[in-house]
Amino acid sequence: MAEAGQPIVEVVGLARYFDVSKPWLARVLQGQPRLTLKAVDGIDFAIRRGETFSLVGESGCGKSTVARLIVGLHRPTRGHIRFDGVDLTALGTRAAQAPFRRRMQMIFQDPFASLNPRWRVRDIVAEPLRAFALVATGETVAGRVAELLTQVGLSANDGEKYPHEFSGGQRQRISIARALSGNPEFLVCDEPTSALDVSVQAQILNLMKDLQRRLGLTYLFISHNLAVIDHVSDRVGVMYLGRLCEVADAQSLFRRPRHPYTRLLLDTIPDLAMTGRARGPVAGEVPSPIAPPPGCAFHPRCPHAGERCRLEAPALLEHDGALIACHGVEEGRL
Amino acid sequence: MAGAAPLVALARRAADSDIFYSFRRSPMTVAAAAMTLVFIVGAVFAPWLAPHDPFESVTVELLDAFTPPVWDARGDPRFLIGTDDQGRDVLSVIMYGSRISLMVGFAAVIFSMVLGVSLGVVSGYAGGFTDAVIMRLADVKLTLPGILVALMVDGIARAAMPRELHDALAIYVVIFAIGISGWPQYARVTRGATMVEKNKEYVAAARVIGLHPVTIMFRHVLPNVMGPVLVLATLGLALAIIAEATLSFLGVGVPATTPSLGTLIRIGNSFLFSGEWWITLFPSLALVLLALSVNLLGDWLRDALNPKLR
Repeated sequence: MAEAGQPIVEVVGLARYFDVSKPWLARVLQGQPRLTLKAVDGIDFAIRRGETFSLVGESGCGKSTVARLIVGLHRPTRGHIRFDGVDLTALGTRAAQAPFRRRMQMIFQDPFASLNPRWRVRDIVAEPLRAFALVATGETVAGRVAELLTQVGLSANDGEKYPHEFSGGQRQRISIARALSGNPEFLVCDEPTSALDVSVQAQILNLMKDLQRRLGLTYLFISHNLAVIDHVSDRVGVMYLGRLCEVADAQSLFRRPRHPYTRLLLDTIPDLAMTGRARGPVAGEVPSPIAPPPGCAFHPRCPHAGERCRLEAPALLEHDGALIACHGVEEGRL
Repeated sequence: MAGAAPLVALARRAADSDIFYSFRRSPMTVAAAAMTLVFIVGAVFAPWLAPHDPFESVTVELLDAFTPPVWDARGDPRFLIGTDDQGRDVLSVIMYGSRISLMVGFAAVIFSMVLGVSLGVVSGYAGGFTDAVIMRLADVKLTLPGILVALMVDGIARAAMPRELHDALAIYVVIFAIGISGWPQYARVTRGATMVEKNKEYVAAARVIGLHPVTIMFRHVLPNVMGPVLVLATLGLALAIIAEATLSFLGVGVPATTPSLGTLIRIGNSFLFSGEWWITLFPSLALVLLALSVNLLGDWLRDALNPKLR
């Protein structure tokens, strides 16, 4: 195992396009061209062992697609995903990928859809154990399931029940137990708390942080909720229309946001200290990812946009320890 | 007894369930279930329950032929609802005939269900080209009337096989003929439900751990799409029983040596205008009652499993 601080996951030039054209016949009859949705359009980042790296952005910015690309639910259109130094995109067959699949797991957004309603909890939790043939006998499976359920704050007897007998928070605990059953090192958490009540969100987040400390896990955390991101993250990547516009450690990002889009996002957080004060309304909407604006994708909404922003896409460059894709920052205007 | 405890618990859970509650609340359904049960018990235990054995040539007397039901002046108390042209007790023949009808019905439904559900799950899960091919096949099949396909299958089987072999296999040919014409409904329903289920996150969770698509289809998706399929199967059972009766009535179904309800109706039909109405009326009534009961059960099941109608 590599030492802490080394990257466990590296993403290089990752892109995923979706064909959203109408069916062939309709397209031919109406003379329409093919349409491509660039959900993820060339992003690079590295996640160090033991840290929590978060991706934040508005709905439809491609953050969930990144999560699904990394765990292999989508095949990338371009780019590479390296796990512990091995390029997963080069491993074609399921058999070749299996040893890496075991080491990464995913926690899903909707705890009401992510557990098979016809399966008992013990079978749901044990499924990765059986799939990876990690334990040999029924006895040890039962023991491991009980251990996992207790670890996430449920009772060992809960294994006999069906998912519908649990609340949202408890179901998310079951999802976590299932994700942990294969002893993974890396967990992809796709908005794990956005379907839960606020009080339950905190419990789940604290459970996840606690497990991270105890088991030395690395998290990729996806959320649109900045308060949640602030609570859990070590480093944060801000996504806009399939690209990263800022990557920085959580403290400096929240204290001193550099990219205009990050500033806009942070301005939207409701804050008790700001009660009564006028806040700048969010200008504009996210443009369609089918026809993104040329140049910097954010320029139609950006108060600092110049001529160069309309023509040329900015690259992700380092400024004071953070990575920022903005001509304004690069030129020293911001 | 320790072994019975889980069974008792299961029975108690079943008695407390919503489904059983809605069952008890509908007298029509209870009556239909009772009638279906009478038919199944009568058919399965016919050798023990039937007053006569219509296939035992020792007890069947041609002299008893055309005996009317007991309430007629010429009736014979041994034959409750009369005898047919060969002197067989009509009640017993109906009980033995229901055996064939129910057997063919169940087997045909299971055959089309297995075929249709498998194709439907694959179609819905795979999507794309596979889906298009399977669904166009289903469309082609749906343009041909079921009875016509069954007649075609029977015709081909008759032409391809020597007579003795065909008689021995006739019942399987009928099952195949009825079953093959029923699969597109199952495929369509399963495909629709699969397309909903496959986008749920539990399927993604199974894909993340690298399970084979076939494993996911049959272990994860299939149990979640069986609800509507079971409703369809219950309704399909009534249709299959009627289809078998139709084929046998037309003389292309099971051979006359193993009479089903349809064969009995056909035999009786020739005597209808000579006054021996009971030979065809009682098998027809049995067929109507059986199909109606099964259909009512299917209707109830459809409503009971539909959360929007609760």
